[in-house]
Amino acid sequence: MTTDLQLPAFTNASEKDLGGRWGMVIDQDICTGCQACVAACAMENNVPYVGEDDAAYGRAMHWIRIERFWKGTFPEVKMTPFQPMLCQQCHNAPCEPVCPVYASVHSASEDLNLQVYNRCVGTRYCANNCPYQVREFNWRDYTDARLHPELTSLQNQLNPDVTVRRRGVMEKCTFCIQRIHQGEDAAASENRELADGEVVPACAQACPADAIVFGRIDDPNSRVSQAALPSRGYHMLEELGTLPRVTYLNGETNGSNG
Amino acid sequence: MSEHVSLLALFEDIGPASDGIDKLRALGVTDDQMNVISGIPFPGRVLGRPGARTNVPQIALVGAALGALLGLFLVYGVAYLYPLQVGGQPLYPVPMGFIATFEMTMLGLMAFAFLGLFVDSGFPSYTPKEYVPEISNGKIAVLFACDQNDEKRFADALIKLGAESVARAEARQL
Amino acid sequence: MAVTARPLPHAAGRAEEHEDPREHLMHDPRPRGEMNAMVLESMHTTTWRYWLATGTLFFLVLTCFVYAWYYLIANGLGVAGVNRPVYWGIFLANTVFWIGISHAGTFISAILRVLKVESRRPFTRAAELMTTFGLVQAGASIFMHMGRIWLAYWLFPFPNERALWPDFHSPLMWDFLAINTYVLCSTMYLFLPLIPDIAMVRDHAKGWPKVFYRLLSLGFRGTEGEWKNLHTAMNIFAFAIIPVMFSVHTIVSWDFAMATRPGWSSSVFGPYFVIGALHSGMAAVAIVLFLVRSTMKNMKYFIRPEHFNAIGKLMLMVSMAWAYFYMNDYLVPWYGGDKWEKILQEFTEKGPLWWLWYTMLILNIVVPWAILWRKKWRSTPWLLASVGVLINIGMWIERYVIIPESLTINRMPFTWQIYIPRVEVFLTIGTVSLFLLLYMLASRIIPLVPVWEVQEGQIAHTLRRVGKADLPTLSEIE
Repeated sequence: MTTDLQLPAFTNASEKDLGGRWGMVIDQDICTGCQACVAACAMENNVPYVGEDDAAYGRAMHWIRIERFWKGTFPEVKMTPFQPMLCQQCHNAPCEPVCPVYASVHSASEDLNLQVYNRCVGTRYCANNCPYQVREFNWRDYTDARLHPELTSLQNQLNPDVTVRRRGVMEKCTFCIQRIHQGEDAAASENRELADGEVVPACAQACPADAIVFGRIDDPNSRVSQAALPSRGYHMLEELGTLPRVTYLNGETNGSNG
Repeated sequence: MSEHVSLLALFEDIGPASDGIDKLRALGVTDDQMNVISGIPFPGRVLGRPGARTNVPQIALVGAALGALLGLFLVYGVAYLYPLQVGGQPLYPVPMGFIATFEMTMLGLMAFAFLGLFVDSGFPSYTPKEYVPEISNGKIAVLFACDQNDEKRFADALIKLGAESVARAEARQL
Repeated sequence: MAVTARPLPHAAGRAEEHEDPREHLMHDPRPRGEMNAMVLESMHTTTWRYWLATGTLFFLVLTCFVYAWYYLIANGLGVAGVNRPVYWGIFLANTVFWIGISHAGTFISAILRVLKVESRRPFTRAAELMTTFGLVQAGASIFMHMGRIWLAYWLFPFPNERALWPDFHSPLMWDFLAINTYVLCSTMYLFLPLIPDIAMVRDHAKGWPKVFYRLLSLGFRGTEGEWKNLHTAMNIFAFAIIPVMFSVHTIVSWDFAMATRPGWSSSVFGPYFVIGALHSGMAAVAIVLFLVRSTMKNMKYFIRPEHFNAIGKLMLMVSMAWAYFYMNDYLVPWYGGDKWEKILQEFTEKGPLWWLWYTMLILNIVVPWAILWRKKWRSTPWLLASVGVLINIGMWIERYVIIPESLTINRMPFTWQIYIPRVEVFLTIGTVSLFLLLYMLASRIIPLVPVWEVQEGQIAHTLRRVGKADLPTLSEIE
């Protein structure tokens, strides 16, 4: 655990606030690996379709991916629980300090890691430094209908609340920040507090097994705080000290990620 | 009424050149009325001349100070004016301050040394100057001022000491 | 019992082998006018071979640099081979490679000047030109890898109405400061000792070249004040550019060392990269000197086997230092047992690119150690240049192993993917061609040998009779 050295302004003052605001719990034991979250996220956030060749070369741009592993050798092969991997919204995000133009910054109010598309110049240092490898880069103009006429009709599907990124720009999961802001705006305009469960990101909404729980982790009574309590809970790559906001529940390989 | 004229004496080698300078001093030409123009640098004591003075180091130090201030501003000034939280790192990080300040100090030091050369030597200057092309072929030239009456006497004395030629120095386009 | 003295076997009948110091450049002085004429002749003699080489290089630059880069900018980085997780590939390897090459110029013109190594005199400018042109290629390679290169000016700190400043927490911004400092300072350092030589060319030129050289020489004559200022400025540069040189490649290495990747997060990267830079840089100097000596007229007077010997000795020492640092970088993760580092090492040594790793070790360590220990071989220009080529290939492979190959293995095995370069191959050829083209053009415009420094050295070197031998003696004329 981090020790509080109480040093003056040359250290990070917000380290004291380890609670943060928005967080997520993913239950690996009930995840079915159906990839509904992947599809929903792609549709909600205008994630481009890169085509067969680029996807085979490792350029698929899904903000959330279902990782599958197995253990043992053939024929005694056993599946391990599916591992949905998305941006962990680390409190000490390694992707933030390495961006030369402040395109990857930390939001103090929501405790999320922000990717500023307009500011990104595409050096891709943030992607190299992400230990979870959840950052995607727009290698080509995948969404430009002038270059890909077959996409013209798909443009009707684009979500107007989310920017469509052009090539040369990094992107990643934002915890559906557009939905967070919509919820907060609605609550503010009705002069009430945001209720737990009012803001649901696309992946949590689509999951048929209800394996993804999202909410305010600084509220101990919220569903996500309660879900993070069991002894099955662990953080990915905890030894790196990134302080992620996503807790995984896994009874089998508790504390390791294979 | 005696005018001052500028003469240019060309020498083949270091020995005769330093002898010539001694002779000129003995004949009454002061050190600041003489100048040596050569194709390679000679320290003052080799030719018997007081060393030239330069302001380049002082100018360079001013540059170094300005560079250090720029480095500190880039890291701490900008963070103070436009604070942005990144990666759990402090807003005023110490190591980055070292790096930026070091680089900018060095840049300031060298850039101002370069500019100091320009300022102190009056570069670039394209007005006509006293010069002969043989200097870049290895000859050592002594440029000095003397009375018009003494011209012949000084010239003879230098040629006896080994000067290749002593002529009126004409300012020409380089 | 009488003791008979017998001559020792190795001394019987054979005088001590020693090279005649008069074969050295510093002890073989010619009149300055004659040396000037030789240098001017080498600048102005162009044969059909020169035009053929320049034409070929120009064609390569047009296709593999200009057109290939246009193609990259117009279509995006998808036409390159980078992917997830290998977000940085050959462009970054090239950047590190060219910055490495550029370090040799500073080493020779600054460190050897400060240490008063006299053999540096005829080739400081040829080496310093390598620095400037190498940094041009490094800068080009960095710009090539950016996703939105048309916004590259955002890395430059300038006040704007949107209150946007670059982030100095990022090693890339330290890179920006360091490399810009290095480019500006080494260009200024190239220009300073060049001024008297430009003045010499100006004095011998006619017509419109004379106007050009007159402008460039700034009105330099060689008065005491001018020499004093120039000398002082050069001294400041020589001393100050050495820590800058060390800091530049250290900061470049921090682009990788500051990252959380296995294989990258190594604290030895700073000095390891600096030594690697010197390794490839000294080898490149050997190549350049061989090309200059064998293709340009009169250069056999200025650049002699003794200079190749000196560079060869440096190459051998740096190769040993590189092996030492590589051992550090290799042994510690091997022993330490971090799971991902071990997987990465296994991938490097036994994976599909195992032959690259072995080639790198053979070219960087075995080849120099096998050849450079013998003075006769070091002094043979073509042999030293060949060793130089092999070392440069080895060092380029080293950067390839560190950057794209290490990125393949990370802590998320689901994402592992091999890197296959595409347009980067053409752009690499393009940067090499541009480097050589700039060099060929510069050889016509400025004298490659600083004649005034050679003459200064020749005046300081004499032969002194000590006993029965004429020994070379050096006086401190500076």
